[in-house]
Amino acid sequence: MALAVRTSKAGFAKWRAWAPLAVLAGLCILVSLFNSNFLTVSNSLRLLNTAAIPLVLSMGATFIILMGSIDLSVEGVIAVTAVTVSLLVANDLTGYDYGLWAVPVAIIAGGLLGLLNGVLHVRLKTPSFMTTLGVGFAGVGIATAMLGGQTVRISDQTFRALSLGRVGGVPMAIWIALSAVIVAYIIQERTRIGRWVYAIGTDETTARQAGIPIERTRILIFSLAGLFYGLGGVLSAAQFGQGHALISQGRLFTTVTAVVVGGTSLSGGVGSVLNSVVGVLIVVVLANGMVLMGVEPYIQQGVQGLLIIVAVALSLDRSRLDVVK
Amino acid sequence: MEHIRTMLPPAVLVAMVLIVGLYDTTFFSLSNFETVISDTMSLFLMATGLTLVIMMGGIDLSVQAVASMASCILAVYLPELGFLAIPLAVLGGTIAGLLSGFVSIALRIPSFIATLAAGGLVTSAAYWFSDTRSVDIAEDLTGRYLNWAVGTTLGISNDIWVGAIFLIILGVLLGATPFGRYVRAIGAQERAVIASGINVNRVKIATFMLSGTMAAVAGVMMAARLGSGSPTLANEFLLPAIAAVIVGGTAITGGVGSIWRTLVGALIIQVVRIGMTFMGVSVFTQQIIFGFILVAAVAVTMDRKKILVIK
Repeated sequence: MALAVRTSKAGFAKWRAWAPLAVLAGLCILVSLFNSNFLTVSNSLRLLNTAAIPLVLSMGATFIILMGSIDLSVEGVIAVTAVTVSLLVANDLTGYDYGLWAVPVAIIAGGLLGLLNGVLHVRLKTPSFMTTLGVGFAGVGIATAMLGGQTVRISDQTFRALSLGRVGGVPMAIWIALSAVIVAYIIQERTRIGRWVYAIGTDETTARQAGIPIERTRILIFSLAGLFYGLGGVLSAAQFGQGHALISQGRLFTTVTAVVVGGTSLSGGVGSVLNSVVGVLIVVVLANGMVLMGVEPYIQQGVQGLLIIVAVALSLDRSRLDVVK
Repeated sequence: MEHIRTMLPPAVLVAMVLIVGLYDTTFFSLSNFETVISDTMSLFLMATGLTLVIMMGGIDLSVQAVASMASCILAVYLPELGFLAIPLAVLGGTIAGLLSGFVSIALRIPSFIATLAAGGLVTSAAYWFSDTRSVDIAEDLTGRYLNWAVGTTLGISNDIWVGAIFLIILGVLLGATPFGRYVRAIGAQERAVIASGINVNRVKIATFMLSGTMAAVAGVMMAARLGSGSPTLANEFLLPAIAAVIVGGTAITGGVGSIWRTLVGALIIQVVRIGMTFMGVSVFTQQIIFGFILVAAVAVTMDRKKILVIK
């Protein structure tokens, strides 16, 4: 009896692991029925290009959600890093022209904000959603204050090539996103930190008893996520050719949607960065499909909201939830 | 400890008023105090419903979206429907709250993610109502239908009266009715409340509906004062609204709190903002400072005995 329950549960888990991929395949078939151009190489590249920034962002967010936490500071961090990088490359506001050297500076700025998230969350013992909400708002404030409410235009074409240039016919942004996925996958699979993230997300008390340095890991993961958002900010600036505080609008929503739709559970411990890749593709293909069907763009936020609800409702492991707050 | 928690926010408020008054002596005048209080009312109204949700141990991250939607509904339907547009806008908020509550309770999704997602739906609805534009409210319509929000009665701004009425209604609801006791009890010890046979889910959904309703009232008030409605009208208000609740002394862990404290919290936020403006701190820098005030206030007020693992 017990065994039967266990196998059916395992079967369910297996089914759940493949569900996002099935949804993606179904969506692709559905959209290509509406538009025969959908599966062409050029449209696929365009789709992947749109997916590049969300992919980079979701890599960072996945680790945090795997720990059972959440990071609502995505937009604030992107705003700071996009503005930072815009002010350091050749632009119309400052005299700096550091070229590609500005990139690591901006990414590290993102890492520092992530570090701040982690340190506040762990040392002050405040829930991550509150801590990151505060830091995220502060981030948007920092970005706006750096520019005094203005917009900065980037004139450095070498920097813009980070997003727009092509290597082997494929936009640079896609290559960069691919590298980010590989790095994230290696961290997840081949490092102790990667293992610890799962342990903390599954059962923090046990993980602590097993000697895992919970606090240090948490701070490190929040910093790591900040680095990924920093890269996302750099790509945003390169893509749009400008920096301003609102450049990140809507990114938080898309990132959270992508991670949970990919099948990573908000309660922690279940999921993978590869799930998030599938999740990002689902969100992007759906958005593209809606545009093809003539759905107004503003409806997308509502659809993403619905996606979050459905995905979370399907993926929450309720046996672990006692009272839901 | 509990005593400190009750007395600290009013003490901070008095101290802030004194500090700002030292910088600028014109601050100490009845008419200026009235302006400050009147300017705080939209924020206060938005934070009242949120207070109940937070007291229950949950959170509502959709209040700014709901307020914006209400402003759109009001601005769009005021020319056609007149007075009826006001209850319609507020009803929109109630329904949005019902949606948040349903998603969080029936689907058993943590409230921060449920309300984040519901907020996305609400924002889409706001864009739909307003046809993605900012909608102006004509001067004569404001005079005819919105005087209760922008005029004065007995020499005091009407928005202060509206705030006072809701302060009393919600204060009584929270302090002197079974509903208020249940909200407090759910925040303090939910399992015990379930065991005592009370329909916890119904109380929770009602609380989310109340939060949506009050956010919509705040949105109507903002639209009346600004003379327009827009899908992004209240976007900057989420953080100050949560901060008002927490700074007032309501703990994020639930169980303790009151509408009074939120009024004090909202006034603190407003006075700090005015003080920083006097001292030449830019609006953007203020946003940075408020971000950290929020985190600090959460850290000070939360009851760590209640959560073993902080995620």
